[in-house]
Amino acid sequence: MKIEYRLQDKFDLTIFISVMLLMAIGLAAIYSSTVNHPTASGNFYKQLFFIIISLILFFIIYSLPQQTFKKFAIPTYLFSIFLLILVLAIGKSVYGSKSWLDFGPIGFQPSEFAKIGTILCLSYWLTYKERDINNLFDVGIALFIGFTPVILILLEPDTGTSIVFAIITIFLIFWSGITLFGLFVVLSPAVVTVASMFGTIMFIFSLIGVVIALFLFKRDLFNSIIVFVINLGASFFFDYVYKILKPHQQKRIAAFLDPMSDPLGSGYNALQAKLAIGSGGLFGKGFMQGNQTQLRFIPEQWTDFIYCVIGEEFGFVGSVIVLILFLIIFIRLLKLTSLAKDRFSILVIAGFLCLLFSHFAINIGMNLGLTPVIGLPLPFMSYGGSSLISNMILLGIVFNIYKNRKLHT
Amino acid sequence: MNNYDFGSNKREKIVTLVIIGFILISIIQLFNMQILQNEAYVVKANENSIKPIYQIAPRGVFYDREHKILVGNKPTFTLRITPADYDKRLNPYLEAILNVKPGYIDKILKQTQNYSRYIPRRIAKDVPYDVIAWYEENASKLPGVDYVIETQRDYSYGVMGSHMFGYTKEIPPEILQKRKNEYMMGDEIGYVGIEKSYEDLLRGEKGVKYVLVDSRQKIIGSYEDGKKDKKSIKGCDLILSIDKDAQLAAELAFKDKRGAVVALDPSTGEILAFLSSPQYDLSELAAVTSGEAWKRLNLDENRPLFNRATMSMYSPGSTFKMVSAIAALEEGIIDSNYRSFCGGGFQFGNRFFKCLHVHGSIDLESSIEKSCNTFYYQLALKIGIDRWSKYAKKLGFGKKTGVDISEESAGIVPTKEYYDKEFGKDKWPKGILVSLGIGQGELSVTPIQLAQYAALIANYGKTAKPHFLKGYVETKTGRYVETKPEYIETGISRKTFEIIRRAMFKVVNGAGTATNIRMPDIEIAGKTGTAQNPHGKDHAIFIGFAPYKNPKIAIAVVVENAGFGSVNAAPIARDIIKAYLKKEKINIEKPIYLSKLEIKEARNEN
Repeated sequence: MKIEYRLQDKFDLTIFISVMLLMAIGLAAIYSSTVNHPTASGNFYKQLFFIIISLILFFIIYSLPQQTFKKFAIPTYLFSIFLLILVLAIGKSVYGSKSWLDFGPIGFQPSEFAKIGTILCLSYWLTYKERDINNLFDVGIALFIGFTPVILILLEPDTGTSIVFAIITIFLIFWSGITLFGLFVVLSPAVVTVASMFGTIMFIFSLIGVVIALFLFKRDLFNSIIVFVINLGASFFFDYVYKILKPHQQKRIAAFLDPMSDPLGSGYNALQAKLAIGSGGLFGKGFMQGNQTQLRFIPEQWTDFIYCVIGEEFGFVGSVIVLILFLIIFIRLLKLTSLAKDRFSILVIAGFLCLLFSHFAINIGMNLGLTPVIGLPLPFMSYGGSSLISNMILLGIVFNIYKNRKLHT
Repeated sequence: MNNYDFGSNKREKIVTLVIIGFILISIIQLFNMQILQNEAYVVKANENSIKPIYQIAPRGVFYDREHKILVGNKPTFTLRITPADYDKRLNPYLEAILNVKPGYIDKILKQTQNYSRYIPRRIAKDVPYDVIAWYEENASKLPGVDYVIETQRDYSYGVMGSHMFGYTKEIPPEILQKRKNEYMMGDEIGYVGIEKSYEDLLRGEKGVKYVLVDSRQKIIGSYEDGKKDKKSIKGCDLILSIDKDAQLAAELAFKDKRGAVVALDPSTGEILAFLSSPQYDLSELAAVTSGEAWKRLNLDENRPLFNRATMSMYSPGSTFKMVSAIAALEEGIIDSNYRSFCGGGFQFGNRFFKCLHVHGSIDLESSIEKSCNTFYYQLALKIGIDRWSKYAKKLGFGKKTGVDISEESAGIVPTKEYYDKEFGKDKWPKGILVSLGIGQGELSVTPIQLAQYAALIANYGKTAKPHFLKGYVETKTGRYVETKPEYIETGISRKTFEIIRRAMFKVVNGAGTATNIRMPDIEIAGKTGTAQNPHGKDHAIFIGFAPYKNPKIAIAVVVENAGFGSVNAAPIARDIIKAYLKKEKINIEKPIYLSKLEIKEARNEN
C-alpha cells in the first residue's frame, strides 16, 4: 500500500525557506559590498551561479535512494583524505594557506568536501552494530577519523576549519552517549593544551585540576595514569605543532591569547567590523549606504565579514532577523534528529547541525568582537562556492533522510 | 548495549541551551553596540572615512630687541613618497635628481616602515624649484610621489645663534606619549633652546581640512563643503632681548675660536648677546637629513652641539677674586684700608703658591686692579670655607641661573660638606682653601653665571634672572605681552660694591691688567682671568660692564685655550660692548616702534 504524503512530510519547508532567505540576504550584502569594487565587482553574479549549482546538487542528493550515504560513507571519507593530502602537495596558495585545488577554471577547497566525508564516516563508525562508545579503542578510532583531517588542514594551514572538524568530532562522540568520564578523557587534553599556552603556571594548575578530577572519578590507578599521560602528551604535542606553525598562524594564536598584541593585523579587521556594526543603529544606514562598507574599510568583507555589511546597512533589525533565521534552522535540525529512524541518520543530522552552528558561532562571534578573528565563512551567506556547495549537499542528505524517515528498509 | 545515553533528551537540552544561549548573547551584544553605544560607534566610523588633512602652522618669528628679524620662515617644497603607490625601481631616478647617495630613499622608507603605507613620507625638504619642475613634467611616470609646500625656518638673516635658537625635531615617541592630545605622529616640536622653551607660544595652531576618503586613503571629496575646515594660525612672534649688532660682533669675534659669550642688561637680566662657539648650521638641520649631518656634529671633537655658554663648567680663575673680596668686606674681616704684603708668592705648609709679580705692600683695590694672588691666598684663610662658599652662592654660583632655555649646568661651589665627603671629616688639606681664594680648584662656573655675577656687581647687587624673551605678540589679538623680569637681590651692601666697582674700573682705566681695551668714549670696568685647564692651554676669561657710571651691559667672555684673559678675552668684550652701546646712544630716546610689526600697542595691565 502506498502512503500518501503531504509536501511538508517529504520536504522540510521551514528549513528550506529559512536557508533561501539567508541566501537572498547574503546576496544583497555581497552586491552592496562588491558592486563598486575594482576587482570583486563580478562576485554577485558568481555567487548567484554558485547558488544555482548548489540548489541543483541539493535536489539531486535529495532524490537519491536512502541507503546511498551509508554505503558511500567510507569511500567518500577516504577520497577526501586523499584530496587533503593532494592539496598539500600541489595546492594553490591563497592568503598564505594552501587550501585550493585548481582544475582549469574551476577550483575548490578539499577541506569543504572533507566535511561531508568526515561527518558520514564518523556517523558510520560510531553507529556500526555493537559499538561501545565508552570503549577506549572505539573512541580512539573515532578520534583518529576526526583528527586526521584536523591535522591535514592545520598543515595548509587553515586554523578555523580544523577547529570546526575538531568540534564536530567531539560533538558526535558526545551525542553518541559517552559517559562523563569518557568525555573528560577526550576533552581534558584540549583544556590542558589551551592552559599551557597561557604559561607554565596555568599549565601546572590545569594538570593539578586533572589530578583532582581523576581522584573524583574514582577510577583505578592504571586508568588514571594513562589519562594523565595523555594530557601531558597532548600539550607537548601542541607545543611541537606550534613551533612548526607558520609565523602568521603563531601570530594569530598570540592574538587570540592577547588581542592587543596585534592591533594592526587581525585586530584591525575586528575593530573595523565592530565600527561597521555599531554604527548601523536600529534600522541601519540603508542598502548601499554604509560608509564602512562602501569605502571598503574591511578587506574581503564579502567573505568572512559579510555579517557586518548587514549590521551596518540593515541595522539591529536586519542583524537580529539573520540570527532568528539561523535559530529556526538549528532548532528544526535538532527536532529532525528525533524524527530520524536510525542512529546513522541521527548522527549525520547532528553532525550537520554542529557544522553549521560552529561556523555560525565563530563567525558571528568574530564579527561582534566576542571571539578572536578566525577566518570562517558564515553558512549560506558568505561569498564562496565550496562552502556553499558542501553545505547544500549536506542539507540535501538531511532532507533525504527526512523524506525517507517513515520508510522501511 | 550500555550506550543508553545516545542522543538522549538531556544532551539535546544541553545543545538547545548552547544554541539559544549564544544567540541571546549575540542579540545582547548587538543591542549594546547598535542601540546603546551607537553614537560612539558612529563618531568613530566617521573618523574612519572623514580624514582631516592638517596644515602645519608657521612657527612664530624671532625678532631682536629692535625688531630686526633673527629667525624667519620661508615656504619650501617638500618631496614626499607614499609607499602604497610607490615603485622602488624609481629610487635611482629620484636619488639622481635630488643629488643624494644611492640607498638614501630606501633608508628613509625603512625608518618609517612601521607607519601605514598610505601615509606620505617626507623624502627631501627645501627642494629646489628645478626638481619640482622636473617632477611636474614627469608626474605621470612617478606614482606615489608628490610634493607639498611647507614652511620651514629661514636662518638667512645673518645671525647663527645655534645654541640659543635651538631647533625643532620630529616629536619623539616618549614625548608624544605624554602630550597625546596636543601632538600627532610626525609633528615637529621644539627640541633645544628657545624653540623648546617657548614651544607652546611658537607652534601656533594647525589648520585642518576635512575630506572623504576610502579605505585606501584616496580622497573622494570634501566633507560638508568645507564648513568645518579651519585655517592654521601662525605661532606667536617672539621679541628677544638679543641685540643683533652685539650678537653679530660676538659671532664675528669667535669665528675661529672656541668658547662662550653672555652679555646681559644688568638692570633687567635681558640677554643681549649669547654665543657658544663653535656653532652649528641650523639650516642644515632643518632639511631632512639622513642622519649624516647629525653624525658629523656628534663626532666633531670640538663638540659643536654642546652649549658652552650655559653648560660648560670652567674654572673662573682671577675673575673670582671679587667673591673673596666681597666676603671679607661684608664679614668685616678687612676694610678698604687693609694692606697685605706680596713677595711673589705665599708659603703655606710645605707648598709655595706663586704670584705673577712681586706686588709688595698692596691694598684691596690694587689687588683686584693688578690681580695679586698672594693677597687672596692669605685672605682666603682668614675668610674660611663656610663664609667663602656662602658669598659665592649669594653671587649666583653653584646653582642654575634659571635662564629660559633648559640646557644648563649648576656648576660647583665646594663647601665644607663637599670636602668632608671627599677627604673625611676635617681631614682635608687647607691648601685647597688657598687655591679657592684665586678661583682655582674644585670650583666650576658657567659663562652665564659669570655674566650674572658681572651684572650683580655692575648694579650694586641687584639684577634679574637672565632671560631671552622680552615679550611676544599674540597672533590672534595682536596684543604685545611683555616679560616681567624676576628680580634678584643679594643683600650685600652698596658700600662693598662701590669698592669692588672702583677696583674693576681701574683694571681697565688705571694701571690694571686690561688697560689694552681702554676706550676714550666708553668707560668699561672689568676683571681678567686665566683659568687653569688640565687638558691643555689655559682659558682666557674676562668679565666686565659698561658704562661704568650707568651700566647698560654686563658681559662674560671665555676663550678656550687662548692663554691670558687680558690679551685674548678682553678685546672681544670691548667689541661687543662697543657694538651695543654705540647704537644704544642713538636709539635710547626712540620709542619702540611696534607698528612696524603690525603690533597694536600693548595695553598696560598693571
